[in-house]
Amino acid sequence: MNPEPVSRLEQILKQGEFAVTAECGPPRGANADVIREKGELLKGFVDAVNVTDNQTAIVRMSSIAACVHLEQMGLEPVMQMVTRDRNRIALQSDILGAYSLGIRNILCLSGDHQTFGSQPEAMNVFDIDSMNLLHMVRTMGSEGTDMSGFELDEAPHMFIGAVANPFADPFEYRVIRLAKKIEAGAEFIQTQCVYNTERFKEWLRMAREQGLTEQVHILAGITPLKSANATRYMATKVAGMDIPDDIIKRIAGVPKSQAAAEGIKLCLETIQELRELEGIHGIHIMAIESEDKVGEIVEEAGLLPRPVVEV
Amino acid sequence: MLKLTLFHCINAIDEMSDPTVNNAEVRTVKLPCSSMVKDLVLLRAFEAGSDAVIVLTCPEGQCRHTDGNIRARKRVERVKKALDSIGLDGRRLLFFNVAPGGSGITEILHQALSELKELGPSPITTAHHVPAR
Amino acid sequence: MIVAEQKPIDEIKEMAAPYRKLLVLGCGTCVQTCFAGGEEEVATLVSTLRLAAKVDGRDIEVEGLTVERQCEDEFIQEAAESIARNEAVLSLACGAGVQAIARRFYHTPILPGVNTTFIGVLEKQGLFTEECLGCGNCELATFNGICPIARCAKKLLNGPCGGSRDGKCEINPETDCAWQLIYDRSKALGKLDNLKAYRPARSWQASSAGGPRRLVREDHII
Repeated sequence: MNPEPVSRLEQILKQGEFAVTAECGPPRGANADVIREKGELLKGFVDAVNVTDNQTAIVRMSSIAACVHLEQMGLEPVMQMVTRDRNRIALQSDILGAYSLGIRNILCLSGDHQTFGSQPEAMNVFDIDSMNLLHMVRTMGSEGTDMSGFELDEAPHMFIGAVANPFADPFEYRVIRLAKKIEAGAEFIQTQCVYNTERFKEWLRMAREQGLTEQVHILAGITPLKSANATRYMATKVAGMDIPDDIIKRIAGVPKSQAAAEGIKLCLETIQELRELEGIHGIHIMAIESEDKVGEIVEEAGLLPRPVVEV
Repeated sequence: MLKLTLFHCINAIDEMSDPTVNNAEVRTVKLPCSSMVKDLVLLRAFEAGSDAVIVLTCPEGQCRHTDGNIRARKRVERVKKALDSIGLDGRRLLFFNVAPGGSGITEILHQALSELKELGPSPITTAHHVPAR
Repeated sequence: MIVAEQKPIDEIKEMAAPYRKLLVLGCGTCVQTCFAGGEEEVATLVSTLRLAAKVDGRDIEVEGLTVERQCEDEFIQEAAESIARNEAVLSLACGAGVQAIARRFYHTPILPGVNTTFIGVLEKQGLFTEECLGCGNCELATFNGICPIARCAKKLLNGPCGGSRDGKCEINPETDCAWQLIYDRSKALGKLDNLKAYRPARSWQASSAGGPRRLVREDHII
């Protein structure tokens, strides 16, 4: 951990506040207004905004650029970085560049395979994996050297995050992997969105037993369900997603026009449940293409106003 | 007169003379097992001028060699695709299961011939020769 | 073995179109084992090409020959006479064999008749699976006998990723998740603790990323 918080998000978590982050997808084009509009919808409702990195392997404006646009409008970005498209040379380079542009939070992931994306013909990289990336960012920040041991003129101290998926297999191994990520450098965790609260609680219990909840700040993932079709799609087609049948039935059980509202209701219930769990230090709202709903959720969950901190 | 080559396994049909059916010349080839219809064997029959090739096997589950008839079917499927790719029409290669003992052969031949009616003789016997470039 | 698959006949026909005398040259080792370019496949392809030529009304003489391996001079030379009397060679060997022929018979056009894919095994009848990427620095001991470089779609050293579900990889429900396999085998061997250790970033210098590789065995040079 950094001796002094390097980002507002880190400060908020360090103070023991329940943090709220949200996600923002950059546009499929060069128009910065798109990201600014999303930023406007989130301002004041969240502590930091994740900016995805060519999510689902679909070509979008780069995370680093989109982060800077958000930074310039007073939001605190969390730059997501995948190892699918860039080798270690490019990754280290981008970390230096990101830091120089004022970015202070980073989330390290492997990334969705390019066969899912808009250009499956592309070569993938995967020079290093997300664990190596965590280690790399930590070393650059705390030791001030790059991967060759070269001393950097300025060390990029970032608040380092990783993802955890309590719903992927093998279940027993997930907590071992979480421990590895913490040891490699993860300071905060954002989980895959939670619908199966039973399984989530079980995972959290195992993490708590190993003392991991005291070593890392875990933010539980939340995604409001919008419609019965979308729910079924997510349940069957999206990797690493676990949506229990009774939830699918619940969304499908209301009239179509009320499905989204029911989804928000479910969302709020889940947030309430998660807030009471020991070891959960915040929520990460992934309302893809529904950034307008984030404010509503945060407000109705009683999470306003957001703390104002300076770093 | 259409020329047919008929491959059959010895267990499917005991004895077979060269039947002449409806203005078609049928040449039969007896095999110990229908699986012996390797791709090359079927293709050579077409090279030799057959307008169509028929493969007769025992019904599935009744092959004396367990799965010889399944292998035969797979080979036939593969060669049909090859024939389609080269413009010789995979429909010229036919596959039938026959009840052991061989009853129904005449019906099978009649059915084959009616399927082949619209195809006519093989294009290689009627092809106009084009000198190489 | 090296696993390959014969190219579609249309593609082969088009490649062979300029030639009147063609040698289809098979290889009796890897491609024979995966039914792509062995003796039987050569004979079948020769027959198919002859039929195709007749259908198209074209003049072409097709000859077929199979040698033990196309990656060794000793066997390549056996094809010398056949190659000399043909205008082009359609080689059904893997990419290495095709290039070896091209090197030794410098003035004869060589065409590849198969698509060479991977180093693999016959998992069960009719199924070949990729096992090895030739990374040049084998760590199968670390991973208890399952290679995450070749068999994990993301080459993870500290896997699995979040897309592993029911033992299958997110990119294909038929593909086993290599990390599930590593986990299971480590458990079976009582070596689960191995997986707790952080695996640092790999050096790719010994792999093809470091450039086309050469192996010199001084002890075999007289």
